[in-house]
Amino acid sequence: MMELLPQALTDGILLGGIYITIAIAFSLTYGVMHVIDFAVGEWIMFGAFTGYYLNKWTGLDPFLFLPVIFVLYFGVGYVIQPVIHRVLSGTKGNPFLMGLVFTFGLAIMFRGLALTVFGFYSNSIPSAFSEGSFDLEPLGLAVTIPTVRLVGLAYALAITLILHYLLKKTNFGLGVRALAQHKDAAGLMGVNSKRTGSYVYGIYVGISAMTGVLLGCILSIGAQMGNEYTIFAFFVVVLAGMGYLAGVPWAALLLGLVQSIFMIYFNPSHTLLAVFAILYIILLISPRGLFGKGV
Amino acid sequence: MKNRGATILAIIGAALLILPLVVHDTFVLRVLTEGVMWIGLAIAFDVIAGYTGYLNFGHGAFFGIGAYTIGILMMQANLPFWAALPAGGVAAAIVALIAGIPTLRLKGAYFAIATWALSRAIQQLALNVEFTGGPDGMRLEAFLNPQFFYYLMLITVGATFAILWYLLERAPFGLKLKAIREDEEGAKALGLNPTKLKMQSFILSALPTGILGGIYAYWITFIDPSSTLGDMVSDQAVVMVVFGGMGTLFGPALGAILIFAFKTIFWAYLSDFQLLYLIILGALIAISVIFIPNGLWGTMVKRKAGATRPEQNAEPASETAVLSAVAAPEEGN
Repeated sequence: MMELLPQALTDGILLGGIYITIAIAFSLTYGVMHVIDFAVGEWIMFGAFTGYYLNKWTGLDPFLFLPVIFVLYFGVGYVIQPVIHRVLSGTKGNPFLMGLVFTFGLAIMFRGLALTVFGFYSNSIPSAFSEGSFDLEPLGLAVTIPTVRLVGLAYALAITLILHYLLKKTNFGLGVRALAQHKDAAGLMGVNSKRTGSYVYGIYVGISAMTGVLLGCILSIGAQMGNEYTIFAFFVVVLAGMGYLAGVPWAALLLGLVQSIFMIYFNPSHTLLAVFAILYIILLISPRGLFGKGV
Repeated sequence: MKNRGATILAIIGAALLILPLVVHDTFVLRVLTEGVMWIGLAIAFDVIAGYTGYLNFGHGAFFGIGAYTIGILMMQANLPFWAALPAGGVAAAIVALIAGIPTLRLKGAYFAIATWALSRAIQQLALNVEFTGGPDGMRLEAFLNPQFFYYLMLITVGATFAILWYLLERAPFGLKLKAIREDEEGAKALGLNPTKLKMQSFILSALPTGILGGIYAYWITFIDPSSTLGDMVSDQAVVMVVFGGMGTLFGPALGAILIFAFKTIFWAYLSDFQLLYLIILGALIAISVIFIPNGLWGTMVKRKAGATRPEQNAEPASETAVLSAVAAPEEGN
């Protein structure tokens, strides 16, 4: 069994790379809108199905559709955000809890919708990259890297760098960071919180949907896949330390490793259990995440 | 109005007690038994969610733990039902304690997803270990007496209601929980111990839920991970409480009755479209949040209070102001 370890580690790191994109977008929305989006997994699922059907109808490679899917879901997020904003800025009840309940409702609705339309079957998205792989045998490593996972890593790197650029080098990013720090003060400095919120939510939904296509190519798609990724997104953010973006990559890699090790060595359906156990232990030792730098 | 509420409650209680003497239809009795159970599940959910402000999206886990504890104790340890029943509640309470230690440290939203993840993990566990029967589920010794189960459920839920009513609406405990919900830091500054109180309220929410799960298991005689540990229990509890009105006992009870009646009618006439029910459930949560954030009960009571005693309107308004001031910015960054 030991000879499988390098393979498990490689797979885990490559998968974890993709989780970085989900978690960064997820925590970005939280930072700006102060609401945890329970529907994150459902956006991933919708993206995956969109990619699947676009591929089926046109026969073109799903990777070619990534920009289309981004634009499409950016639009969806942009349209939905004002409703969430309205819930959060409500004066009745507890707006913060209500925001949470609202996205929980959305998640249930989306799951029901997907089950009605797509049924219970699961499948994977065929891509030109699904076939090939790189063999590292000549380098003395018993590892094969499926091309599709390598492309996934490249995608994750690209998204992370683009987001980094957007946040740190542009005026838009300045506004987003100001909003995350103090909503009212940012408003006084001329940041349009409504519009910025819509852009951020759109970007987040778009990235989640695109990532869904990749995950569909690497693993599989199904109407109920969303649940798992919602838990993963949350796991990464809490483990990184809430609001501590620099911790996200490490937590995401850890999650990828846990998942691939369980897939190879243990029962794959125990993954969630392992994820929860790790989360539990880390929160017991360090409630503010892996690095103790969370809020 | 308080007296009128008590009178209405007494009338409903008396009617529910006599009902089986009048109605002999087993199907109706079954529906009523389940309806009463949902009232219990909804009010128990509201202890931690509505009163303390910590949303537990994995309420179904406690229900399933209660059901499985009783199933395992009765079928594998050969204990009689009455000996196994309290164990169901205790098991749920212990899981609440163990799960609460790290997760109750998380701020509201993260607690919500943590409990949801926990219920997923427990479902996975039940599917994969031997002693639960895995995906095939578990069959309990059948005891077919609809009247017995109806009364057992009614008495359990009635007692739960009475105890919670005393603790949350009459004793200082309820006020302490509300103080945590409104402003946890402030509550600490007043000398309260939020960690202890949150834990107590979480356990208080889990205990009756576990017992109800146990009764359900014995009543339905067959349990499997998807029926007792699936999303349905948690999802419906959330809808009932949000739709009915959080932070009260009457709101969730009202929500439970309405949603359960709707579900019964829907499944009776549209049994081919059960997935549609999921969509409606989700849409109902989202719509209630937008249009009646205080829930049906909250909206009704406030209207009434506003009509007769206008000075009372000032209080809820300031409550919200405090809330929005503490809730949003602190969570950020």
